[in-house]
Amino acid sequence: MKRMWKIFVKGLVVENPLLMLMIGLCSSVAVTSSVSNGIGMGLAMTFVIVFAELVISLFRKLIPNDARIPIFIIVIAAFTTMVDLSMQAYFPALSKSMGVFIPLIVVNCIIMGRVEAFASKEKPLDAVVDALGMGLGYTWVLIGIAALRELLGNGTLLGARIMPEAFQPILFFTLPPGGFMVFALFISLNLWLKKKITNGTAVREAA
Amino acid sequence: MKKDILRLGIALALFAAGACAALAVVYTVTGPTIAGHEREQLQASLKDLFPDADGFVEIDGSIRSSVPDVTVLGSWKAARGDATLGVAIRASASSYGGDAVMLVGVATDRRIAGARVMTLSDTPGLGANATNPSYFVDKAAKTTFPGQFSGKSVLDEFEVKKDVVAISASTITSKALTSIVKEAGAVGSAWLEANASGGSR
Repeated sequence: MKRMWKIFVKGLVVENPLLMLMIGLCSSVAVTSSVSNGIGMGLAMTFVIVFAELVISLFRKLIPNDARIPIFIIVIAAFTTMVDLSMQAYFPALSKSMGVFIPLIVVNCIIMGRVEAFASKEKPLDAVVDALGMGLGYTWVLIGIAALRELLGNGTLLGARIMPEAFQPILFFTLPPGGFMVFALFISLNLWLKKKITNGTAVREAA
Repeated sequence: MKKDILRLGIALALFAAGACAALAVVYTVTGPTIAGHEREQLQASLKDLFPDADGFVEIDGSIRSSVPDVTVLGSWKAARGDATLGVAIRASASSYGGDAVMLVGVATDRRIAGARVMTLSDTPGLGANATNPSYFVDKAAKTTFPGQFSGKSVLDEFEVKKDVVAISASTITSKALTSIVKEAGAVGSAWLEANASGGSR
């Protein structure tokens, strides 16, 4: 149980895919201009990574090593298309505002990276736990960045007006340059968090 | 070596077949819902342009754009009983962030019944204000950018910054959208002239 917990939490801070591994950044900057987009993208991505890791891990002994990359892509693309179609059918508005970024989950390096580095070697249950940790680590960062950007850049949260009428939205934060700046802010926040966490365990181990 | 290639090929084929089967299932389940959404959305927009109409008949292919920049994607006749109320035209033109698609209604009195932006990918806070229901080009009258076209005569100039108020800092978007409305107005009223001349009387 403790081992599982370790696999799960590492995706949140210490090995956060966006802020520590620094992969899959492009679409993250692009979709985080509003919180609803951030939630949608985070959940879609978590769904795809959980099922991709599960399937790859289940079939890991049947996947020939030389053909593993194309097989990974087939599996990831299949789940991404399922998410895309379901969103179009049941959340048309969200699907519209996310545009091309849902199909682009296929080429998100986070999924490819975790499948290659983890799921293709570990047991299915571990793979699912790893995927949940990574997916959640991705989602919280997206929501955090999107919240700050939407609040400052548009004066709203989830479309509801938060800032007083007099507040002039700082457009900069909705545009890509502002996205990069907020991203940098979160990277430093995460480094600080990581320092706290690893220091804590180091102290505990010493004691 | 040869055996190896065969083995890899078979493994790939099996995974592809599995993925294919799974996708086919999802597609069959979601397909009708997606098509339904598109139809509903179109019907709602058409109804929005011609609230008095009780039916819309698709006009197949007889309306074509007369300028190279604007493409007519579809057109519908708005009818109430036997009378023709006007024609709705879905047309696209190249805008700042890709193609913009609008639905424009032309009434039989040669006026724009209304214009709606259907698809637009543009800079948030700038060009995207075209679809923002709380962005007003005329703050006193609460007129949105597409809203300002309602009631405009199709014979007007449709010149941004002259008889059309631009979205601030988004001249390309404003011009592209205006060109769609202008062209839709021209071809729409021409069609009405030719096919439903008695409708307005």
